[in-house]
Amino acid sequence: MIVTYNWLKEFIDFDLTPESLSDLLTMLGLEVEGIKNLGSGMDDIVVAVVEEKNEHPNADKLSVCKVNNGRELLTIVCGAHNFKSGDKVALAQIGAVLPGEFRIKRSKIRGVESFGMLCSEKELALSDDSAGIMVLPPDAPIGEPLFAVLGLKDTIFEIGLTPNRADCLSVRGIAREIAAKLSIGLKDPGDEVVTAFTSIDEIVSVVVEDPELCPRYAARFIADCKIGPSPGWLVRRLQAVGMRSINNVVDVTNYVLMELGHPLHAFDFDLLDGEKIIVRRATEGEVCKTLDGQERRLLSSDLTIRDSQKIVALAGIMGGGNSEINDGTTNVLLESACFNPYTIRRTSKRLGIHSESSHRFERGADVNIILKALDRAASLIADLAGGKVARGVIDVYPEEVKANLIPFRIEKANKLLGLDLSPDEVQRLFYNLGFTSQLVEPDLLNVTVPTFRVDLEREIDLVEEVARLNGYDKIPETMPRVEIFSDRPTRRQILEKRVRELLVGQGLSEVINYSFIHPSSFDRILLPSDDYRRTTVKIMNPLNEEQSVMRTTLLPGILETAARNFSFRLMTQQIFEMRRVYLPEADSELPEEPLYLSGLLTGSRNREGWNQERESVDFFDAKGIVENIFKLLDITSISFGKGTLENFYHPGKACNFYHNDLQVGSLGEIHPDISEKYGLEQTAIYFEINFEKLISIGTKTLTALAPSRYPDTFRDIALLVDDRMEAGTVIETIKNIKVREMEDVELFDQYKGPNIAEGHKSLAFRIRYRSYERTLTDDEVNSMHQRVIDNLLKKLNVTIR
Amino acid sequence: MMKSKLNALLSEAVLELETIATEEGLQELKVKYLGKKGALTAIMKGLGGLPAEERPILGQVANLVKDQIEEIINTKLGDIRHQIKTEKLRLETTDITLPGRLKSIGTRHPVTIVIEELSEIFRGLGFQVAEGPEIELDYYNFEALNMPKDHPARDMQDTFYVNENTILRTHTSPVQIRTMLKQQPPIRIIAPGTVYRCDSDATHSPMFHQIEGLLVDEGITFGDLKGVLTTFLTQFFGKSIKVRLRPSFFPFTEPSAEVDIACVICKGKGCRICKNTGWLEILGSGMVDPEVFRHVNYDSEKYSGFAFGMGIERIAMLKYGITDMRLLFENDMRFLAQF
Repeated sequence: MIVTYNWLKEFIDFDLTPESLSDLLTMLGLEVEGIKNLGSGMDDIVVAVVEEKNEHPNADKLSVCKVNNGRELLTIVCGAHNFKSGDKVALAQIGAVLPGEFRIKRSKIRGVESFGMLCSEKELALSDDSAGIMVLPPDAPIGEPLFAVLGLKDTIFEIGLTPNRADCLSVRGIAREIAAKLSIGLKDPGDEVVTAFTSIDEIVSVVVEDPELCPRYAARFIADCKIGPSPGWLVRRLQAVGMRSINNVVDVTNYVLMELGHPLHAFDFDLLDGEKIIVRRATEGEVCKTLDGQERRLLSSDLTIRDSQKIVALAGIMGGGNSEINDGTTNVLLESACFNPYTIRRTSKRLGIHSESSHRFERGADVNIILKALDRAASLIADLAGGKVARGVIDVYPEEVKANLIPFRIEKANKLLGLDLSPDEVQRLFYNLGFTSQLVEPDLLNVTVPTFRVDLEREIDLVEEVARLNGYDKIPETMPRVEIFSDRPTRRQILEKRVRELLVGQGLSEVINYSFIHPSSFDRILLPSDDYRRTTVKIMNPLNEEQSVMRTTLLPGILETAARNFSFRLMTQQIFEMRRVYLPEADSELPEEPLYLSGLLTGSRNREGWNQERESVDFFDAKGIVENIFKLLDITSISFGKGTLENFYHPGKACNFYHNDLQVGSLGEIHPDISEKYGLEQTAIYFEINFEKLISIGTKTLTALAPSRYPDTFRDIALLVDDRMEAGTVIETIKNIKVREMEDVELFDQYKGPNIAEGHKSLAFRIRYRSYERTLTDDEVNSMHQRVIDNLLKKLNVTIR
Repeated sequence: MMKSKLNALLSEAVLELETIATEEGLQELKVKYLGKKGALTAIMKGLGGLPAEERPILGQVANLVKDQIEEIINTKLGDIRHQIKTEKLRLETTDITLPGRLKSIGTRHPVTIVIEELSEIFRGLGFQVAEGPEIELDYYNFEALNMPKDHPARDMQDTFYVNENTILRTHTSPVQIRTMLKQQPPIRIIAPGTVYRCDSDATHSPMFHQIEGLLVDEGITFGDLKGVLTTFLTQFFGKSIKVRLRPSFFPFTEPSAEVDIACVICKGKGCRICKNTGWLEILGSGMVDPEVFRHVNYDSEKYSGFAFGMGIERIAMLKYGITDMRLLFENDMRFLAQF
């Protein structure tokens, strides 16, 4: 909503600077989002009087004038002829900047020096009239800035109205709020209609067939109008509030719309068939051509205004092209009505028409301003278009809309707000708002709310009005008095935070990708056609296809992020994402939203430096991170296995990991075909963990062991094994051999190549022995180690090297 | 005679020791005086030719001289070793301006940082962290929050639809409803989370984050709302921050208030970020509307409460001086590495 300072002043005498007015409005809940000054920087254009007007010695068409600006007599060369000596004129003095960044300088015109310029309306962008210079009324004060004298210095306020404040969608509505805050009265501009000749009833009749959707319909008739341009003041007013001038009659309806907030519609009466207006729902499938030239197909829930033959307007939304005011219009039928907000909203939303009119009707119009708005418009049209207003008004208003009566408990309001207002103070606030209130019990008011406040229905709505008008700043700050209670964060919350911190400590940086992805992502990551992750939650109205389905895996997002960074020449990346995926559930209205954790490593393991070699990351970096996560969570029994591997991994360098039989996640090198497709031209290692499953694994309470006080002894052993045998199997086998003093088994070398038979590899282990009771002797260790070797050879097909 | 020989030997040894500067030299000196073929041994051999009563006395003297020589040699040895070590350490220098050995360390996303910081402040005020689904029923997101279908208030939020009844939540407020349906007052929760609206430009992202707060109990006032939010804002932005509440409208609160802080960029003087108003809108809040309580079967005559919500990205942008929200979701590591 846009209002101007001067326009507000027509309704209320206030003494506030534009800045303090802006603050006042904002603190009333009418947030001023922008302020613009009109006519600022125009003070060098002043009123001056022509004292002499002589012919230019060297040019027939020019004159040389002596012009008085109140301080000095200036010589001005002028090309216009529409003025005479003694006229008041608009003088642009040296230094003035006219619209279009035209700066006035001292200049010589055909040998005569000129010290300024006399301006036309066009040169000042006041109108398109360039016929001659502006000649001002004789009483214009000499020397005063022209824009101030013309009342064109104004301040425009852009107000961001909340949808509940339909009553403030007008200059008068906002003035009403200011008046309430300042406890002063509202002025009303005159709206007396001079009527003549015939009664309107002899010209036209109105039938409202659906009073529920149209509770009131009023009309006036104005004959013999002359359609033409609007006067400058009207054009400028409309411009100031962001509207385009069309013609005098349409401009009046818009002016009254902005001034009083009530939408009106003007019909060319001669284009209506059958001297009758009917308000009726459309027939299903009926077509109406609105005045924007669009054909609209209507439903039976849409309300229409029609004559005896056709639809002439979409009620409360937009007029029809077939009856709009045009240059040849002479007789005008002016409509001022009220329509059901929900009907208007449904229709305008469905048809995608958002007009000033629908905007107001869908928020709720005031049924009691209908006649006032009608009269105001009729009198202005009579003035500006020379029309004659027919006697009387048509007013179809079958059931009077009553003002709301709301009981209001003062104590309850004070308790909720933390205030201590007396009944008198509360009543005064209501009075200022234009409500009437009656103290019916010591603590109870009956408040009657006028019909313009469609947003106030309940006691709580009035509590807000009291708080608002009294001022939020008057409410003292307190702290709630509540029982102490404390819950720790849930285990899930704690672990989420700790895992995130662990990953950051391990060198991974967190990314957040959009939850929606492109549906083709699943093909790109080679998910099988029957994979459950292809069943997605789809968005009906996505912004674009790239953001049209909710993700079921974090992989596409993280790959896109890695590829984008790779294209910025960031060769080393260690990133992770901890976010939800969205898995539709067959028997549930809403999908599952498990938290997933995924990471991607590519490039070098450490930052390269003067003392650090570049080493490429591999499978085992990711595996180490996953192992650390398990360690952080105190989960000891985790196994890595191949099982059924994801297609998006390199088939030889990937695995799943499990706790008992529960698969918690997977990790591996991204399949080179996929990396290539995403433009990631180097090896990338990925891991993905279902965080919900991870934290579902219970952990035992730790019992800490005191370390042995005796030294350890170790023995190394190198085994020749079949290439296909996994190191994990050998380690598990050794660990399971029952030798109490065996403390630890560590794989310290894996070797293939010369000296090793084809199809075989060498694995070297260091086995550590230690007793809690004493220092072990060499002999004792030898015999323990021998037992380990014997057992190992029995259990596995390996040989000692 | 013998005694004077021994004393002379001692003096000689002391003198010679002065000239020696290395461990090897000392070793040689030791052999020369105290070795099997050394000077002292030679003198000691002469002991046998002395009268029996003199032998013990001279023997004593000889041992004394031997001890003295040994001691001065050892002292000298200590000195030399100390000198060598000092010299060695003096030469062992490091250019400490060379970069350290870098173990890479990652960063949290700024959205996470802000969520964790806000959660920590509210935890300190006794609030618990609650969560809810991002794909939400229309009922929880709108209807139970007093936004029936065909209500203009729905235009305040452009909604992504999954089907007629299911949407991507447009705010974290449905967590209020879910929490109140599950438990009775007193309630003190905050709910950080991801929300969605179909809007995308420099200050809007189709996916963003909010944090919601709700406190319900007997006797909670609008003054309490002011107190809690002012406390929170001064903890986050600093003690001197100016706070103001102004009337606003949300369908699920009444009275409603928009909370502004004095612009952190221009300190209230007016700048581009605060659109020359000197104030920054930081959160929306209000007393829970009785209509909302009705939906969760709370007695609004008995209980009252307040709710508030704020955009995480907006706070992150203010905190870190970010002017384009899209930066937060482009995941450019050069950007994220700063946090």
